[in-house]
Amino acid sequence: MKLRPPTGRLLVNRLVSLLSAGAALLGLAVLAWILAGVVARGLGALTPALFIHLPAPPGVPGGGLANAIVGTLVMTLAATALAVPLGLLAGVYLSEFGQDSRLADQSRFSANVLMGMPSIIIGVFVYALVVIPMGKFSGWAGIAALAIIMFPIVARTAEDMIRLVPNTLREAGLALGAPRWQVTLAIIFRAARAGLVTGVLLAIARVSGETAPLLFTALNSPYWVSSLSEPTPNLTVTIFNYAMSPYPDWQQLAWGGSLLITLGVLALTLLTRFSLRDKPR
Amino acid sequence: MGIGPGMEEAPGLERVHAEGASRSAKLCPRGKAHFREDAVFKGLSIGGSLLMPLLVAAILVELVWYSWPALKHFGVGFLVSQEWNPVTQEFGAASSIFGTLVSTLIALLLAVPLSLAVALFLVELAPPPVSRVVGTLIELLAAIPSIIYGMWGLFVFAPFMADYVQPALGKTLGFLPLFQGPPLGIGMLTAGIILAFMILPFICAITRDVYLLVPRTVRESAFGMGATTWEVTYQVIIPYGLVGIIGAVFLGLGRALGETMAVTFVIGNAHRVSASLFAPGNSIASTLANEFAEATGTLYVSSLIELGLVLFLITYLVQMTAQFLVRRFYRAWSAGL
Amino acid sequence: MKALTLPAPRYLTADEAAGEATSDLALTVAPEGPKIITRQLDFFYGEHQALFGNNLEVARNQVTAIIGPSGCGKSTHIRAYNRIYELYGEQRATGEVLLDGVNVLDPAQDLMELRRRVGMIFQKPTPFPMSIFDNVAFGLKLHYRLNRGELADRVEEALVRAALWDEIKDQLRHSGTALSGGQQQRLCIARAIAVEPEVLLMDEPTSAIDPIATAKIEDLVNTLKSRYTIVIVTHNLQQAGRVSDFTAFFYQGRIVEFGPTTQIFTNPTQKQTEQYITGRFG
Repeated sequence: MKLRPPTGRLLVNRLVSLLSAGAALLGLAVLAWILAGVVARGLGALTPALFIHLPAPPGVPGGGLANAIVGTLVMTLAATALAVPLGLLAGVYLSEFGQDSRLADQSRFSANVLMGMPSIIIGVFVYALVVIPMGKFSGWAGIAALAIIMFPIVARTAEDMIRLVPNTLREAGLALGAPRWQVTLAIIFRAARAGLVTGVLLAIARVSGETAPLLFTALNSPYWVSSLSEPTPNLTVTIFNYAMSPYPDWQQLAWGGSLLITLGVLALTLLTRFSLRDKPR
Repeated sequence: MGIGPGMEEAPGLERVHAEGASRSAKLCPRGKAHFREDAVFKGLSIGGSLLMPLLVAAILVELVWYSWPALKHFGVGFLVSQEWNPVTQEFGAASSIFGTLVSTLIALLLAVPLSLAVALFLVELAPPPVSRVVGTLIELLAAIPSIIYGMWGLFVFAPFMADYVQPALGKTLGFLPLFQGPPLGIGMLTAGIILAFMILPFICAITRDVYLLVPRTVRESAFGMGATTWEVTYQVIIPYGLVGIIGAVFLGLGRALGETMAVTFVIGNAHRVSASLFAPGNSIASTLANEFAEATGTLYVSSLIELGLVLFLITYLVQMTAQFLVRRFYRAWSAGL
Repeated sequence: MKALTLPAPRYLTADEAAGEATSDLALTVAPEGPKIITRQLDFFYGEHQALFGNNLEVARNQVTAIIGPSGCGKSTHIRAYNRIYELYGEQRATGEVLLDGVNVLDPAQDLMELRRRVGMIFQKPTPFPMSIFDNVAFGLKLHYRLNRGELADRVEEALVRAALWDEIKDQLRHSGTALSGGQQQRLCIARAIAVEPEVLLMDEPTSAIDPIATAKIEDLVNTLKSRYTIVIVTHNLQQAGRVSDFTAFFYQGRIVEFGPTTQIFTNPTQKQTEQYITGRFG
């Protein structure tokens, strides 16, 4: 039998390896290009004025994004306060009580559907649910939209982390005569604490950069956050509005806001990566 | 009952024993109260879990309800009509659906081979520390918010496309209607390319898992027969993992369909169906983003919501398929581990 | 100073606990006879039956060892005593387990109180993710109303009794998971005895621990038995011989033979027992 010469095969292999490395390089290059672009254009806007002043009309110098920053923080925190307890409860059901039940299967499927749902659809949903009955755009609607996005993320992460806790720990708590809820809250949550915190941080990172769900729920406002029953200023919609405007100083502010959001989200994401790495799998 | 012979009492226990008699009386018997607490807790957790399917159902119901006026008025023709005129109250979803599908298609054509290649690099070719670092960086692409992609796309990438890429494409492939028309920078092609990089990390992550789930013994046998890395990947790993990889592709598809801000910034926002990739268009998400807040009139709003319903249904179907495929793959191959 | 005798703990009714007990003697009820009588205990994992009509008497204040090859139902049997199996929906037990004459398998039985009276030590040490102090205090806070001083005293007493106090008395606020394997297991024992149980169930307590720590725990079992009734599951025959007063030999879900340890090991009546003891099968 004649042997196939290996050189052709090796060449193909070499070529594919180069292409794969090239693909990875391309991905990294795009990442670098984006980050460089944001930093280069946003750095100039990072003045103290950005954090202190309200937005100014176009052409008037000294405008800032202070109200938008506060608004985003307030809405994100409120959404977290709403989504985390509900998500933890759902996660507890999925891992402790439900496991393979039909409700659990349906819930997991629904969680995945919700997580894959375009956030603008969630915005439309909350618009019809909250904005129409209230008759106006409001911070509450924005919070509701953000919370709906966060909730399934927290629930699934909680389920995964709680499942990792060994069964003997559960049994040891019960064997001492503790009621089930106490075993879950005092022992299981403590044992899964690092993972649970990571899940929450990831959800926060995801939600703090969202624009679409706020577009017609919280809308936007050029004033300070006065009441959550009114349109509430926020960073992402402000960036959208300013970027689409024809005014250079507004566009500059949009870049500043972009830089802030990018730094915040990346910092949170990297933080969770490194804290997860230390946990034994 | 006393302390038996041979038992050493540690010093210092006398003090504690002196209180012994009153100790048992401090028992606080819980009776049946704990059963109630446990039931409440379990009930709350069931409620939390129930909330998720309820939300999905509620979204569907609500979208149908509010798009009813448009559904009744336009009927099925809504889906194929290119009209979009708030003044005459004539609306049609064709351009939005077309834009959604085309931009997503471009994104997939670019992202799928790239993802497979990057996953191959991370799993087989890169030394572990490099793989870890590069893997983390690639996943950062997923962490960047959509609006940042939009900003970068509009102010950095679109000019680049307009100045270099589109003229080059026009000169070389301009005989195809795909690459005809003025190089505006913004448009379908630019949107598709940006989408590709947004979904790359998702497809790549799952493909990586798929590669790693193929039993080690199978890979070792293939290598042991003298196959090159590429041959093992192409002829053994990918066929084994095909179901999972297709699931990953569907997941990326689902994400691309729903991306809003990045697309809104660069797709040009024109309600038209065009054969050229250089032309501006729109997607369902971009239409909603641009027009919803100012839409007035029941039919206008209802048409927009009907667009949302279409997007919801497409996304739901894609999600269902993706989950089915990925789950089937994991079930089949983790059993073999 | 009171005499160094403790009244035998007993199950108080709700009325008694509401009003303070007036004298020690009123609390001292010392029933005679075996501590635990198991009658016709069947156990099922779903459709699969694991125990077949087991009858066993566990002597009061003695150490009863349960030996047998893997999968013979040893752990399953003792897990019926504190009904820990109820955590899993498909597992169920029928028959009677009489603790001081009262059937604990009865659904009307107060489960929390049962588990206070019947403590369990697991094969792999299970310290809670909290400080050493909080680990021992966990059960105390569940079942007792104690002020801070009393709590600290009871924690110290439990750790003394578990032969762990001297080693960790300066580290009470350190995490329980930072201890060595043998120390963790003694911590689990301290945690269990802090709530004044009457029975200690030990499911292969030293199989995951080094020999020196194992010896310490075996000594501990010896001192503990005067205060508690101990049932220890072990696959280590030498350990059973060293530590126990009575031994039950299980095989394929049935109790083949039961008797004083010396008799089982030197003069077993059943052929299977002899074959197992002499290592003919494992």
